[in-house]
Amino acid sequence: MNREGAETYLRLLAEAMMRGSLASAQGPGGGRARVTAVGLALTAVGAVDIETAEDILADFDLAVNVRQLHGLASRGAAGTMPSGTMPPGTAVPGTVPPGIALPGTVPPGPAPPGIAPPGIGPSGIGPSGTVSAAAMARWTARIKSGRSPGPLTRVSRLAGSGPAGSSGSPEQDPDPAPTGPGTAGPGTAGPGTAGPGTADPGAAGPGTAGPGAAGPGTAGPGTAGRGAAGRGTADRFVPVGLCVPFHDEGLSGEMYLISFAQTGSGARFIVACGNRTLLPQYRMGLQYPDPVPLEHFTVTDDRGTRYDLALTPGSGPEWINEISVRPAPPAEVRWLDVAAPRGPAVRVDLDHKVTAAGGEPEVTEARLSPGEHLLIMLADRMLTVAPEAGPGWRRQLPVMSAGLMRAMTAGLGDVVAALEAADVLSPLSPVPARLAALCASLGIGGHGITAAPAHDLPERWLSLLAHYQRRKPDLAQVRDGYAAVAAALPELDGIRLALVGLDNTEGGSSLHVLATGLTTEGHSGPLGIDLDFPLSLWLRDSGGRWHAARAAGWHRVGGERALRLKLVPPLPRSTAWIEVLVGGRSAEVRTRLPLRWGYPT
Amino acid sequence: MTDIPNDPWFGCLAPCEAHVPCGQGRHVVRWEAGAFRLPSHPDPEGELVLAALGGEKARCVEVAEAWGRHTGDLSVLAIGPRGRTDEIALSWDDVDAAAQASGRSPVPTGPPRAALMRLASPSMLTSARVQAQRQRMEQEMARTTQRRNDMLSLLALGYGFQVRLIGQVAEAHASPPDDQLAKVRPALVAAISARLAPVAEEWIGIDPDQVVVSLHRGPGWGSVELTGQGEQRRLLISLPAGWLGRVWAAGLALAGRHLVVAVQRAGWPDARVLALRAPGTEPVPLDVHASQESPAGGGLDVRPGARDAPHWEI
Repeated sequence: MNREGAETYLRLLAEAMMRGSLASAQGPGGGRARVTAVGLALTAVGAVDIETAEDILADFDLAVNVRQLHGLASRGAAGTMPSGTMPPGTAVPGTVPPGIALPGTVPPGPAPPGIAPPGIGPSGIGPSGTVSAAAMARWTARIKSGRSPGPLTRVSRLAGSGPAGSSGSPEQDPDPAPTGPGTAGPGTAGPGTAGPGTADPGAAGPGTAGPGAAGPGTAGPGTAGRGAAGRGTADRFVPVGLCVPFHDEGLSGEMYLISFAQTGSGARFIVACGNRTLLPQYRMGLQYPDPVPLEHFTVTDDRGTRYDLALTPGSGPEWINEISVRPAPPAEVRWLDVAAPRGPAVRVDLDHKVTAAGGEPEVTEARLSPGEHLLIMLADRMLTVAPEAGPGWRRQLPVMSAGLMRAMTAGLGDVVAALEAADVLSPLSPVPARLAALCASLGIGGHGITAAPAHDLPERWLSLLAHYQRRKPDLAQVRDGYAAVAAALPELDGIRLALVGLDNTEGGSSLHVLATGLTTEGHSGPLGIDLDFPLSLWLRDSGGRWHAARAAGWHRVGGERALRLKLVPPLPRSTAWIEVLVGGRSAEVRTRLPLRWGYPT
Repeated sequence: MTDIPNDPWFGCLAPCEAHVPCGQGRHVVRWEAGAFRLPSHPDPEGELVLAALGGEKARCVEVAEAWGRHTGDLSVLAIGPRGRTDEIALSWDDVDAAAQASGRSPVPTGPPRAALMRLASPSMLTSARVQAQRQRMEQEMARTTQRRNDMLSLLALGYGFQVRLIGQVAEAHASPPDDQLAKVRPALVAAISARLAPVAEEWIGIDPDQVVVSLHRGPGWGSVELTGQGEQRRLLISLPAGWLGRVWAAGLALAGRHLVVAVQRAGWPDARVLALRAPGTEPVPLDVHASQESPAGGGLDVRPGARDAPHWEI
């Protein structure tokens, strides 16, 4: 890696932007977006450290702003501005004049880094809509402090602002879910107390329970190679797909057990809940019941040991819930009976020796350069940004291409050149040409990539492009449902992912994963890609169509992060299995998993 | 190869002065022979002691301190002027307004956002961690604010001081040890490119974006070569970092349609330089003479502007 070449490129680009804007009518600062994009790209691949890039951007901003003041002062001398004043709102588009803007004011113009236009914000980590708000707050604080905002800023990182709007940050981590094998309290209920319920071994859908529900052909890979937090017990991830009906004091409903996950951070069920209220005070909104009366549930293992259930902090209403099981069951436990008040117990088979129908995950060596991997993540981002414009986005695509996406991809050519200058992207790499072809397919011009568009786009890109370009209107909203799926993937670039659930809700699809090895720096890369989730994750459904996944929210559970990955486009209801493709720098992992859909009321 | 004498870098720079609002009046600050001086404050060190004991620090002294803090600051090269046509006009009122704006609390005084979102009481460890982060953030912001205010004050001194500070910074990094070279070279290359590209355009009409600069190290003045044609045309220039202080800051970059690459005999207003008539040729010695339209001095708001910079003629 040529760090000196990378820094030199960034500085020379800033000079060129300064020179060009000084000579043009647009005024200084017009090139800030390009400088920022390149700065983000070079820091993303580690070619320029964040502090250096921040300093270069800060110097660029100050240089631009004092010159703009000069220009305005000249006009002021002609009578348009009182001499010696520092007018608010005189900011260069996309920049904040240090000490010039009034505290709390937001300069007009294109969004600064970290405050991307709607739909292209820092990659969606955190609930939708909170990203911009949090970034805006950071920016306002920077204005007050007199420093221009920056996506690379040390201040924001020191402030502990993780992915904006995320439900997790080091300060917020309540560090729940203590674990400890074999510490179960005295149990009173034995295995015999839980009947097989309405078991229908092997059948998909809610209402099925009992031993064998996760039998051969329905269970995913259930084990991970690494021990649970060094305790010598293996992690286990078990698809469940069982429905536990409950009725308790005016509240009745169902808790759908999607999967069971046990790691060093504890054991938990991944669940979806549906309930209906019976009491008038609930119906009239005078009182709100707990979603699920967990304290009245009983959980008993095959040895008669009892366990408590508790809602995992951090998993909120927008989440599939995580219900922690305390203490964590010892490795020898083969099944758990889960019984709701006044309901039959359902048996959850924890035998993790079952194998998936799709077999073990397939690992293929990739050997991507850091630059290639970054460009692939940029491509993923471009392919997933369109639906974020809201309903009807497909009709708006041409307009978006002309405006939003063009602004988003301005500077891509500079990014490619900078990565080459940093020796993290070979001039012979085919990826820039594919990126150029992708831009062309999306109708995006002005990206600045000099390579001729390639003809060999990856199948998954073509699949998504075909989806965008399909003329028939969007399919009817898919029915809400939850798929029991669980699989631990091999470690990839130091990151371990375990798939623990899939849902279709409110017209969208989300894949839920547990991750270890992710950083929580909270900074985004160019185009708002999430550098804390540096993987390319795609799903192929049983109909052969590809779906891109991008991180849309997370919370911390012990040493892990529970991630919700939004799928673009949503999965069709008929999906019987998925093939998951996770791409890192060093390798690609593929695994094929059957889905068992449940539709709790 | 042409030997380059090792004279002081500021040999071709005349003294310059500016007025700074200080106390109830305006005081003269002066740059001369590479030093920043305060003629109105005969004992600045004593004033600093008094300020440390609670007295008010004179603005002239503050500016002198700011100058001292930034004589090795590479950011000066990125922010300062690129040439005569790139004058940064900043008044002391502007500086005051910026300082007042940054005087407001840079950090929200309420509880941190994370604390508001926390579900349960934080542990002692978490509180200490948040407090430490908060302190670091405040320190960072204070440093940023001071750096910004410093820079605005130095720019308010006017073009003459700005180019002299650029020269001094470049000279401070002109001969870095080998293990430091990689750290400073990108900023120096960018700084020379920024100032040489418009000069090259004026010299031979080349597009400034086609000027490629590298840092010359070792004996000799460097090299200038023109390659390619059309869009592939490039002017490859290799000059030492000292060129910024010795040549460019003195306003000597272009003299009589020659590109000045080095100073052979420094002096004011007469000097001998090495200059190129065209790319690829050997430099020739030229005797040059400086003239100034309106030397800085007099009036209430004196600052050496770009038009006060000297014009050198053969």
